[in-house]
Amino acid sequence: MQIIDSTPISDNCRYCLMCRHVCPVGHVTRRESLTPHGWGLLIASVERGLIAWDEKTVDVLYACADCGTCRANCVTDQALPDAIALARQSVISAGLMPDVVADLDARLRQFGNPYGEPSSSDPVAKAADALFVGDDAKHAWSSALDAALSLLERAGVKPALIGVGRNSGYLPASLGLYETAKSIAEANLAELAATGARRLFVLSAGDYDAFARLYDERLGLALPDGVEVIEVVSFLSGAAESGRLRLRAADGLGKCAYVDPTHAVRVASRHEAPRRLLGTVVGGPPVELFWRRERAHPSGNTALQFTQPKISNHLTYSRLDDAKNVGAETVVTECSGTLAQLAKHAPKFGVRVQGLYELLAANVA
Amino acid sequence: MALGIFGQMVRSELEDVVGEAFVSTDETDRLVYSTDWSWMAQMWLDRGQPLSKPDVIVHPGSPEEIADIMKIANGYRIPVVPYGGGSGTQGGALATHGGIVVDTKRLSKIIEIDEKSLKATAQAGIINEQLEWALNEKGLTFPHYPASSNCATLAGFLAARGTGTISTKYGKAEDLVMTMQVVLPNGTIIRTPAVPNHSSGPDFGRIFLGAEGTMGIITEATVQVDHIPEARYLRALLFEDLSKALEAGRRLMTRRLDPFVIRLYDAHSTASQVKRVLGYELEGSYMVVGFDGDPDIAALQERKAMAIFDELGARDLGREPGERWWNHRYDFYYPPKSLKLPWMYGTTETVTTYDKIEALYWAKKRAVEETYADHGVQYIGHFSHWYHWGVSLYDRFIIEEPPEDAEEALTLHNRVWTTAVRASFEHGGMINDHHGVGLKLGRFARMQYGPAWDLLVSLKKAIDPNGIMNPGKIGFGA
Repeated sequence: MQIIDSTPISDNCRYCLMCRHVCPVGHVTRRESLTPHGWGLLIASVERGLIAWDEKTVDVLYACADCGTCRANCVTDQALPDAIALARQSVISAGLMPDVVADLDARLRQFGNPYGEPSSSDPVAKAADALFVGDDAKHAWSSALDAALSLLERAGVKPALIGVGRNSGYLPASLGLYETAKSIAEANLAELAATGARRLFVLSAGDYDAFARLYDERLGLALPDGVEVIEVVSFLSGAAESGRLRLRAADGLGKCAYVDPTHAVRVASRHEAPRRLLGTVVGGPPVELFWRRERAHPSGNTALQFTQPKISNHLTYSRLDDAKNVGAETVVTECSGTLAQLAKHAPKFGVRVQGLYELLAANVA
Repeated sequence: MALGIFGQMVRSELEDVVGEAFVSTDETDRLVYSTDWSWMAQMWLDRGQPLSKPDVIVHPGSPEEIADIMKIANGYRIPVVPYGGGSGTQGGALATHGGIVVDTKRLSKIIEIDEKSLKATAQAGIINEQLEWALNEKGLTFPHYPASSNCATLAGFLAARGTGTISTKYGKAEDLVMTMQVVLPNGTIIRTPAVPNHSSGPDFGRIFLGAEGTMGIITEATVQVDHIPEARYLRALLFEDLSKALEAGRRLMTRRLDPFVIRLYDAHSTASQVKRVLGYELEGSYMVVGFDGDPDIAALQERKAMAIFDELGARDLGREPGERWWNHRYDFYYPPKSLKLPWMYGTTETVTTYDKIEALYWAKKRAVEETYADHGVQYIGHFSHWYHWGVSLYDRFIIEEPPEDAEEALTLHNRVWTTAVRASFEHGGMINDHHGVGLKLGRFARMQYGPAWDLLVSLKKAIDPNGIMNPGKIGFGA
């Protein structure tokens, strides 16, 4: 159900400290104002006339990563990230949109992504299954797509591609650009409907959450009737278990850690699948980071990489530092955006970065 | 904020110590750091009234940086308010006199986990739950499980003499600490002795426990840890009669059956809190009891306890309600399950000996309910931290329709509290058991301690002659 009134949420969160310890932005900045209760209190205080939106307060509002870790750890399921996105929307409506957000909006409207590269306008094919490609897998870390497609084919799936080069709508929805988000999401849904697919495969936890939750809760959009959203890693894990996909052990990776991708916390049932797949090729359970599973912190591939690159970089440093602390030589994940961020900074930490889909595709038995 | 010439000079000095990125005078930071978890501060902001704000917030990264901040503050006589998790309920972290808020959360490193001696050393700004996760990776636990585990810092609960859900077996935070590093108001960095039990002179380290940042800033602590227990047996019981339930708890403790938890709700709490959070509709006093450790020993302790419960006519509700309580014990503190504004509420918890506890409970209940009947006050309580000699009463008052006006509301809040604390005093109770004194209860400190209060004031003056440390708290004044 779409959330349209954020006041009860910010009022609940403004003094609650129960999720602050899992907030990744709070963790890297150590500032109370950059934590869930800080954002809740800021929004609630603006409503009470104690502080006003201006360049500095808007900057604080835009420091939330919209990663979902607070809500995933909330016993009463407070949708604070949605409340923050709504507050951003109201700031934009009040004519206080930060310049960097305005620039992003222009690019998203023109290209459907923040990379300034046009999304595909090719007609989509009819198929029983569709795969949402998105913008990161097209423009930020493209080897994941081919690898995922070859793995799906091995497991008997040949999907029609949709959203090639186009954002899922998460980025503009995070930034409070609801009109832009809606038009991008509608374009993705139109392509999905055109394929006639009943199963929609997605390459990352973020894309899963976009289609399975965000479209409904934040944008008021519904998927075509009867469409099931499936994360490729979960599907492949099932295929490996049933013997439809056979994998062999890989060499030379050293000690591997799995990095939960951005938004992984929002998809509670997905934590085991990528670990099982990685464990199969590395010959045992991967090393676990400290910030993992339901408390997993994202790397820098959130809206912050465009709006607050300093915080975004610190999120990535923190993941790599986490990997180093547990003695990992290689960090592995399937999310293209996460891979791109990790790869940007990994050399400084002496850690290798490896795409999970590529690793699996290279080790099909 | 316009700091003025002097403020800008101080800010620059602070930046020289911690770096520009770790000093803030932003309005948002000043707003967020102006409050803590106390009802009075939250209510004040809720009614659109601004609170006193810190002039500047600093985020030091080492004890040495804190020492340098103290030297600056002491030199200029600027108030210093230590800020950990901000989860205190008595306004202990409020910057009532402005000045410098020192947020300790950058000091969050775990320095050592000693699996042989079972102790952990960490910087004191670490959040309790993060320390716990790190210990759990090694099969260990820090047996301090407060409801604020997700948000309280190590220094914060030591400074307030906090307690946790399993204190009945493992002790309060103050019982678990072995040694501390503390930065004094003049910038000197000291350490208390490496072990807590010895006969090498007075235990001066204790002065910082419960001082709530009025004597210095705790920057590092070594605490005792335990192996994660092999077994945890929980069950719930129902007593028709509170008196018998209290007697059951007393017998368990005085016979040293070593439960890790006894949580006894009064009839009102059972009907309201237990129903709202756990979903059980029960009449009477709901009790959760647990034994942990070696499975054979825990099972035997539980059997012995069950015989006592049986003697006292308790109804055994079985394991599930006990385990459900354990698994949801912190749910009570998540809004909207928790007490929340616009209601007025306060936790007037206290502690006393077994011979006085029941009379104290009824006297407080009667005093609060009768005096504030016109306001529709509710009085609820549970008994949660048990000792060999007595037990704490965690009692609360709730007024669902308090005055709209902030000042009127605060006046009423203070009056209810006065009634409750006086009733505690009259029955041998303390100002409180584990929430600290802060700003809220400072006015009762002199009453509590009598002539001994002057001794504490002398100690405060000796340690902090310029009165810069957390002024206005625990009754010390500015």
